[in-house]
Amino acid sequence: MMSGCASKEPLISTERYNSSSIKVPFVAPRSDLCGATSIEMVSSYWQSITTYTPRLSKEELDARTLIPAKSGTLQVELMATARANGLLAYTLAPTLDALLHELEQQHPVIVLVNRSYSWYPLWHYAPVTGYNKKDQTILMHFSNRPNEAINIATFKRLWERSGNWGVVLLPPEHLPASASSEAFLRSAYNLEKTGMREQAIIAYKSALQRWPKDIDILFALANAYYSSNKLTAAEQYYRKLLSIEPLHPLALNNLSDLLCHTGRQNEAMATIKKADSDNIEIQSIINATQKKILNGCTLQASPKK
Amino acid sequence: MNISKLLLSFILSITLLTQTSWAQIASTEAIFKQAETLSSKDKIIQFTARQDVAKILAQMDVEPAMIKDRVAAMTDEEASKFANEIDTLPAGGDAVGALIGAVVFVFVILLITDILGLTKVFDFTRTVR
Repeated sequence: MMSGCASKEPLISTERYNSSSIKVPFVAPRSDLCGATSIEMVSSYWQSITTYTPRLSKEELDARTLIPAKSGTLQVELMATARANGLLAYTLAPTLDALLHELEQQHPVIVLVNRSYSWYPLWHYAPVTGYNKKDQTILMHFSNRPNEAINIATFKRLWERSGNWGVVLLPPEHLPASASSEAFLRSAYNLEKTGMREQAIIAYKSALQRWPKDIDILFALANAYYSSNKLTAAEQYYRKLLSIEPLHPLALNNLSDLLCHTGRQNEAMATIKKADSDNIEIQSIINATQKKILNGCTLQASPKK
Repeated sequence: MNISKLLLSFILSITLLTQTSWAQIASTEAIFKQAETLSSKDKIIQFTARQDVAKILAQMDVEPAMIKDRVAAMTDEEASKFANEIDTLPAGGDAVGALIGAVVFVFVILLITDILGLTKVFDFTRTVR
């Protein structure tokens, strides 16, 4: 939440971070398409320093982001299009701290600003490309001006009008500097849900390097492997999860199902018997799995007429 | 009447199909729903949200060929947000185009506030601070 006490914050957060300057290739915004060009600039930055290759052409970026009747791009479609381009989209915590933290790690941040007042809003997306500690300026590819240095007080005013909205777009091997495990998992899962399972698996695996014992990430990775029919890898991660939390009901259930499918009925039964949940829906899934194992592991296509 | 019944049965059959084929697997979704799986009712709401998004995009002059891809690229949460808040969500765009319609008064005020560093409407202004 924005509030009147914002004026005290810059002294603390701007001191903590070093100056940064990120070499993001500049693209002048095409008419009403600063959403598309912002994605394009950040994508070509990653292309220039990693093995990442964009999946969409310029024309596709334009066609996926513009809403003619709104003369612009919505935040949800900026995120959706970035994912379709093969990048993980992570919304930052709405603070200057989070922004400066990402910049320090050489991660450009796309921000939404209102260049004007709420009574005559002029919304604009721009990639932030650096921070100058000495001059107290924020550098950004603002409209037609590459690396425009904006006084930090002015920047804060423009930015707080959007509720300090900022997003990093990253190849799935890279983690946001300021990420929490829960929020990152959500971003990675959003990739999986929108048809980018391979990228999601890479993201889950990189998350495990930072949070190696996170139950939820292990569960998501195991499920993603199971859904892509990589049974050995799926089993390995369900077991790893259960070595940390032996009675995790969802993991017990899914592992039993996997064992059942791979012809290990006895072990499947022993595993499902450990599963138990207060939640009615989960318990009904567990019961169904147990029944399936009893029936010799064939899925009963219940003919609902 | 008939059409809406047909639609409802279509939605229900999809929900049931996905439920029978995945009945035994607890989805990753469960983590985010505080260990609750999605009920059929939620699924129907989200399904209709996607239809609403497609309709809105068409009304807002989006290229018809792109609508399917754009809707598919959104998560359920994004589609619901889009469908429910389209009138108030900000759309980032080009300041010049929007300014053409502004009256001189607004133009002058924003020029002054730009110079004071309170806004940044024009590319050419430098703040006095």
